[in-house]
Amino acid sequence: MKILIYEDEKWINFTPLSYIRPVFELRCGFNSILEKIISVLPEGEIILWVRDYLVKLCRKKYEYKINENDFWKDDILIINGRWLIDRNIDFSLKEEILYTKDGDVVYGLIKKEQVNKYWNGNLDEFIKNILINVKSEETDFIILNYPWNLIHYNSQIIKFEFEKNGENGILGKFSEKASVYGSERNVYVAPTAEIYPFVVLDSSEGPVYIDEGAKIFPFSVIIGPSYIGEKTQIMPGAKIREGNSLGPVCRVGGEVEESIFHSYSNKYHDGFIGHSYIGEFVNLGALTTNSDLKNDYSNVSVYLNGKPVDTGDLKVGSFIGDHTKTSIGTLFNTGTIVGLMCNITAENILPKYFPSFVWFVNGKFMKGYGIEYSLNTAKISMERRKRVLLPEEEEVIKKVYEMTEVERKTYIEKSRKKTK
Amino acid sequence: MNEAEILEKVKEVVSEVLGVDKDKIGLEDRFVEDLGAESVQSLELVAAFEEKFGIEMDEEKALEVKTVGKAVEFIKEYIAKK
Repeated sequence: MKILIYEDEKWINFTPLSYIRPVFELRCGFNSILEKIISVLPEGEIILWVRDYLVKLCRKKYEYKINENDFWKDDILIINGRWLIDRNIDFSLKEEILYTKDGDVVYGLIKKEQVNKYWNGNLDEFIKNILINVKSEETDFIILNYPWNLIHYNSQIIKFEFEKNGENGILGKFSEKASVYGSERNVYVAPTAEIYPFVVLDSSEGPVYIDEGAKIFPFSVIIGPSYIGEKTQIMPGAKIREGNSLGPVCRVGGEVEESIFHSYSNKYHDGFIGHSYIGEFVNLGALTTNSDLKNDYSNVSVYLNGKPVDTGDLKVGSFIGDHTKTSIGTLFNTGTIVGLMCNITAENILPKYFPSFVWFVNGKFMKGYGIEYSLNTAKISMERRKRVLLPEEEEVIKKVYEMTEVERKTYIEKSRKKTK
Repeated sequence: MNEAEILEKVKEVVSEVLGVDKDKIGLEDRFVEDLGAESVQSLELVAAFEEKFGIEMDEEKALEVKTVGKAVEFIKEYIAKK
């Protein structure tokens, strides 16, 4: 049996976070959506299916086959890359069936006869065809539709994964002046992690998991459920409230609540980030803060793909694309989207949407120093963390630069007209 | 638009963005060292020149322009292409 894990046309709903990665690389709980799926799979050859412009990059990053057609000769276990696994799964399927959630495939077994019948080289069409022609059963599994869903489920997934991992106890360096408030059974400190004096790990409402190489500096409090990723540093005096997944390799200070920091990002200083997803290699300047609740307690709407979307949630923060940087004192509005590689400087009331690669200076959208400058800055910040920008990554970023050009120019143009 | 007219408008923009007295701006003045442009102000200058002259400049090439005189030459080329 072959196993196909795919991303479908809804990747666009996860932009800017999904611009330079497949949706299944987004993180929730302890790791990525893909890592969760792979951890529960039965034996079989894994094939990943991604949008065209990510194929070369994914072939570089993964050992699995990427967008290769040959598996269509076999029975396949088909898995939606937006499936967030929140329970133990039994994959021992004998008969052909599709498990669905609100009309989306979650997973299913498709026999090779059906595969041959409906496969015409287009994945989205194939999915539509099997949804019509294969026996299906509606489920209550979690299918992610928007990035704020990752935030919504983060606490639940941390609790599930803490139980599933079965690890607890303090194995790392733990100052005798640090303390656990709540049950120690609800705390895991990895062997190479380090907890400094006057740190409080509050596990009274949920587990606290501190991964390998993480350092929690003095006078910080971490409230569970929270996951602190590998080599992440929690800066002195930080208030890490419940529902956070921070890292790997992030540096986080100030106050953070129900947020996900993808990896390699910095929020070194004070300032509040809540109900937000921060991409990779983002730097949030001192006192950068986002609102995550409207004053009239109404649902937060987010501007996505050119139109406002009602999130259905009262608390939604910001979604910040990779390599974006904010100045000191930046204050984001409730439900803000910030694109890839933006530079944002503080302004009284900031817009709720920033197209990728823009600079926002003195209340105006500007085109910045150009793509080569942005790539060069990215290379410098990656080298500082011993990472290299792959040529394939560079190609993908340039492609996104082209894809977002019209939108960017429209915003710059509008911004100029406004100030005339 | 002749070179003198372009220079006049360039001076207006520089004065507005950098807060420098228009009459004290010379052709040889460097934006950063002599006129005090910070990095984000360089971006504002490019945006303001584009707006003033109704042109769209290559941002990477535009940011290589270091003096007022060179900016006049650079803008003149774009106006000629219009």
